[in-house]
Order: sequence, then structure tokens, then C-alpha cells
Amino acid sequence: MPLPSVSVESVTKRFSGHTAVNRLSLEVSAGGIFGLLGPNGAGKSTTIRLIMGILEPDEGRVSLFGSAHGSRKLSARIGYLPEERGLYKKMKVLDHLIFLGETKGISRADARRRAQAWLERLGISEWALKKVEDLSKGMQQKVQFAGALLHEPELVILDEPFSGLDPVNAQVMKDIVVEIAASGRTVLFSTHVMEQAERMCDHIAIIARGETVVSGTVAQVKADFGGRHVALGFSHDKPRAEAILADRSLIARVDDYGASAELQMAEGADPEQLLAALVHAGVGLRRFEVVEPSLHAIFIARVGADAAVAHAGAAA
Amino acid sequence: MKKIIAVIRREFVERVRTRAFLISTILLPVFIVLMAVLPGLMMSGSDHTSRVAVVDATSVGLGQPVSQALQSEKLGDGPAAKARYSVQVFPATAANLAAVRNDLIASTGFSSKKQKDGWDGVLVLTDGTLASGKLDYYGSNVGSLDSMSKLQRSVSNALAGVRLGKSGVDEALVKRAMAPADMDTTKVSDGRLTGQSGEDSFLIAYFMGFILYISILLYGQQTMTSVIEEKTSRIMEVLTSSLTPFQMLLGKVLGVGMAGLAQMAIWGGSVFLVSSQRAHLAGLFGMSADAVRSFPIPSMAPGLLVVFLLYFALGFLLYGALYAAIGAMCNTIQETQQYAVFVTMSILVGFFSVFSLIKDPTGSLGVTMSYIPLFAPFTMPVRWSLSSVPPLQLSLSLGLMVLALLACVWLAARIYRTGILMYGKKPSWRELLRWIRA
Repeated sequence: MPLPSVSVESVTKRFSGHTAVNRLSLEVSAGGIFGLLGPNGAGKSTTIRLIMGILEPDEGRVSLFGSAHGSRKLSARIGYLPEERGLYKKMKVLDHLIFLGETKGISRADARRRAQAWLERLGISEWALKKVEDLSKGMQQKVQFAGALLHEPELVILDEPFSGLDPVNAQVMKDIVVEIAASGRTVLFSTHVMEQAERMCDHIAIIARGETVVSGTVAQVKADFGGRHVALGFSHDKPRAEAILADRSLIARVDDYGASAELQMAEGADPEQLLAALVHAGVGLRRFEVVEPSLHAIFIARVGADAAVAHAGAAA
Repeated sequence: MKKIIAVIRREFVERVRTRAFLISTILLPVFIVLMAVLPGLMMSGSDHTSRVAVVDATSVGLGQPVSQALQSEKLGDGPAAKARYSVQVFPATAANLAAVRNDLIASTGFSSKKQKDGWDGVLVLTDGTLASGKLDYYGSNVGSLDSMSKLQRSVSNALAGVRLGKSGVDEALVKRAMAPADMDTTKVSDGRLTGQSGEDSFLIAYFMGFILYISILLYGQQTMTSVIEEKTSRIMEVLTSSLTPFQMLLGKVLGVGMAGLAQMAIWGGSVFLVSSQRAHLAGLFGMSADAVRSFPIPSMAPGLLVVFLLYFALGFLLYGALYAAIGAMCNTIQETQQYAVFVTMSILVGFFSVFSLIKDPTGSLGVTMSYIPLFAPFTMPVRWSLSSVPPLQLSLSLGLMVLALLACVWLAARIYRTGILMYGKKPSWRELLRWIRA
């Protein structure tokens, strides 16, 4: 069993009064894509900063590649894209990438060659001699992305890598992330977009208010969540389904999207019962499928419920 | 080490490439020349003849010898020099003294364009003047120390002459006795003449202090600003994951410092070029050789140059490290002001101490200050240029500076290390102490 790439052991971080991360533990094993999921303010970025050694934990321990030396000693092996992107605005794009490469310990000539290759690949090579401030936000993000990957790190940590990108650029970035994982390296990224995580990640951890809510492989998380789930697609007469969907003896939870819905069956209820009831009521169905719960549904169910409990607790 | 060089290169190249660098390289020498010439112009009195009204309310006719003494003063040397004063005596009695005086004052202090026959000043002599030396002067130019001391000296001479004459001393003898001494000064260093006159030494000292002052202020602030900028642009987050605070800080201080030194080298080089070619250049502009000589460019002895550059580099790095530490403590430029003011103060103290040093370069103040690392870069080159500094003192002062620099970089790196990990929060003094010890 190889050492985990990242290991966080019951880490706590407090900021003047409020606890951003509370006894959080997670382990990212080598290889594959690890998704750190959570709503805004859940402590994703704080966790990543703790992993990167930018913040010191108040309690607990962080180790990278089995060593507690911190990211700086191991920086040649780690690539990092912070949530708040920062570049020297006045520097030329190529010079900037070369500098970032140099701070990771690769030679100037090597850094130049690699920077050019990356700019080529990201389709912004004609901007190489422009100043960073002249680039659009999306392009700046690509530059920073390239900067994090220039030294071919074996562990890549990306904080919200796809936020603020248009679909085309998000696709380009996704392809790169998948390719890194395919080459046997490790990617840890945070996101609040569940669909993306569901499609890309091998392992996930959902955190809320600084604590781990769920973690494991995606399949494991889904199996643990349990229950039977049905995805519906409506073609017509959806209002006729409302009484059925509201029947708590049949359906435990509904996630209604209008033209479609994701349901969790109530304990002991059968999907067949539901189908019969819907057909009987004359609801037009485009799709009826027994499915695994989506991460989104799990996320809403777990985080939403916990949030409600916490809220009630705070009120009491 | 490779990483520090990368940081140094980045800081240096990015700074030298900016338009601000180009502009300041060109404009600063202009300012320096202005700053060097202006105080001289302001301190030395006017170069036009002053119209002085002498109100003579004495019973012994003191107005006559005083006005003669004033009229014999010239503006500058040589037979063609203009008279310094044009004098007119107004007799008065004790009774109408106030009326005569006020009448004259009413036409005093106008610019020459407004009233052609206005007075520049009114000198009032009374019977008490001869006995006690007390007299009054009302004028528009009383703020000029130089003019006032010249006027007072002339009047004193006249009074002394009159007093001696009254005691029966021969007038010709009085004249010879009162002839002023004319002293030329030459600096001696290590038992040899340096060929510098006292005035040259003063100029060099003034120039050096000023260049140091400006450069430290300019580049020190830049170090601070660039630390803050890194924090606000959040590039810090990427850098802290690959560089240690010490690497970042040292690279920044050295990079910015080298940009400053490069600028100095450009200035120094052009001064050298201009001064070595000045006769030639003056010819190009149609200036006479006399005019060139009247505006001397002081030459720097090689030893002084070495001392100056050594102290410049050390002082620069020391202040740079201080500024960087302040940058690390704060999150915005506004916040830095409360801390930066202390640094600016010590720069100012160092700079202005140069003026008192010029009067007394070997005094205990100068010696003490050249052992205090924050002031030494200002005081030591000046002391070196004005007097000879014992080698022991020089090496002790340099050693202290190196120590202080190392301590300061270390301290700054400690603050830096914690400061960048804690952004979003302004530290209290107690927390600062804790950061340093952490």
C-alpha cells in the first residue's frame, strides 16, 4: 500500500471566533481524482490552504507523501491553483510562466520550453508577449493553470478550477485534469458543482461547516446513502402527478426540476407501485428509470438536512 | 539559491523595464541639481543693489560713517562689481524720529516694479547706538540670514571705526586694522592635501546625503508596496507554496536594491561623463570658460566613492528589509503609514544630521551616529568626506551595519512568514512579538 498523497488528521482551524475547519480528516491516495465537495463557506478553501501549508492548523496534522515537512519542501512535486487567482499584472505572460517554473526549481531554458508548449496547448500562444493585465479573466485563469502544472507535479491541487470558465474552456481544463489522472498522477480539486464531480472523481469528500459529512469512493458513497431512486421525465399532464409525489408512504423525497424529477422511494415502497400510480393518473412520461442516487441528491439530502438541524439547534 | 536568483531577476527586470524607472532616471538628476542650487541661491542674499535709508537721529552724526561703510561694500569681487547698497541719510531729531521713520517705512518693501523709488530697508541710528551698539532695521529682506549678517557686519565695522576714532586712533590705522581676513580652506586626509576645498567637501556631503535619502525613500517604499501588492493580488499564495519567506524577502530586497544601484550607476556615470567633458560641452552651448568654472562639479576621491557605495548598499538593504517587514505586517498601503512613519523619521533624522555634522564632523554626535546602523549610511560618508575617519571606527561601524542588516532580514523574515499566513488581520504589537518568537 503506497503512502497517501495527502493525509489530513483531525485538523482544526479557527479564525477570530468562528471555526472554519473542525476536526476534519481526509486521505487522498495516490493516483486518480479526488473531489472535495461542499457548499459555499463549508471550509473547502481553508482545508486546501491547510494542506498547502499556507495556513497552520490550530490542532491536528497534515502530511504530504507521508512527510510532515509541509508543501514548501515538497513543492517540486506539487502543483497548486489557489481559489483566488493571482498573477503579477504587469509581467509578460511567458516571463511569468518561466518565473513560476523557476520557483519550482526547473531551469530557465526548460521552463521556457514548457511554458511555450502549455500556451500552445491552451490556445493562447499569441498572447505570450502580452502583459497579464491585458488578458481576459478566462485567459488569466488558463495562464495560472499552466503555471501550476508546468513542472509536471505528481500531486495537483486545484481550488475551484472550473469556476468562471465558459463551457469550451471548462472542457479544455477538464480534459487536462483527466489526462493527469490517466498518467498515474494525483489530482485533488474542490468544487460545488456536483455533476462535474460525479463524472470525474474516483473519490469524494463532502464537507459542510468544516466537518466531513460523507467520504469514500463515489460508488461507496452512493451505496451507503442507500434507498431506491427513480428518475422521472415528464412529457405532459405533470400536474396530475402532484398528489402521487406528495404521498410520503410512497416517496420519501422529491427533487423537482420541472420537466424532470429525482425521487427517493419511501421505505418499503416499490418503483412498480409508483409507475402504476402515475400511469393510472394519466401522467405523460418520457422517462422512468430506477437509478443510483446522484451526488447532487446526496449532497442536498445530507448537507441540507444537517444545515436544517444546525439551524434549529442554533435557534434553540 | 537558484530560487533566490529567480526572484532577484524578476524584481530587477520588472522594475527596470517600467516607464517610471526611465522617467525617474532622467528627472531625478534635474531635481538634485535644483535642490543643490536652490538653497544656495536662497541663503545667499540678493544680487541687486539694495536701497537703504539711514535715519540719523544721533547728535554726533553717526549716519555719515555708517553710510560710507555701507557704500564701500561690493557685490562680488573685482573692480567692476556693483555696489551692494545705495544709501541715503535722513537726519532726524529725537522729537521727529518716529515720524521720519514711519514715513520711510511707508515706502519700503515694494517690489521694484511697483514703486521705483521704494526702499529695501530702513536703518535707524540713535544716540544709544554708539554706546550700546543697539540699532533697528526695518526691511523686506530681514528673512535672509546672509543679507542680515552682512549688513550687521558692515554696521559693526563702522561703529568700531567711529569708536576708535573718538578714542584718538588714527583713521588710516583704523582702516588697516579693520581689514577682513580672507581664508582659503583645503581638506587634509592622512597627512596629505586632498585638493578639495571646504566648499567642495560640503557639496559632496550634501549631494551624497541627498542621493541616499531619495533612493532609500524611493526604493524602500517600492519594496514595501511590492510586498503588499503580492498579498492583495494573492500571488503570494502560489509563491509561499514554493518559496520560503527568507528567499522571497531577500530576493525582493536585493532585486529592488540592484535596480536602485543600476540607477545610481547611470547617474554616476553621466555625472562623470559630463564633468570630464564639461569644457567641451560648454563650448557647444556657447558658454565661456569662466562660466564653466563658476559652476564647479565636485570630483569624488576614489576612497570616498568606495565608502559611499558600501554604505549606500548596506543602508539600502537595511531599510529595504525594514520596509518589507512593514509590508508583511499590513494588508493595505494605508495601514502601512503608521509603521512606515518611524522608518521615514529615522531616514529624516539621518539626513538632517548631515547638516549639523557638516559644522562639526569630528564631534561626539557624529561618532555616535555612525555607530547606529540606521544613521550610519548618512553620517559616515559625510564624516569621511569632511574629516579623516580612523580605520577602527570605520570597520566597527561597517561591522555593526552588517550585523544589524542580518538581524533585520532575519526579523523581517519572521514577521513575513507569519504575516503572510495571517492576512486579513492586523497584528497588535503583542502579536508581532509572538510572531517573531514563533
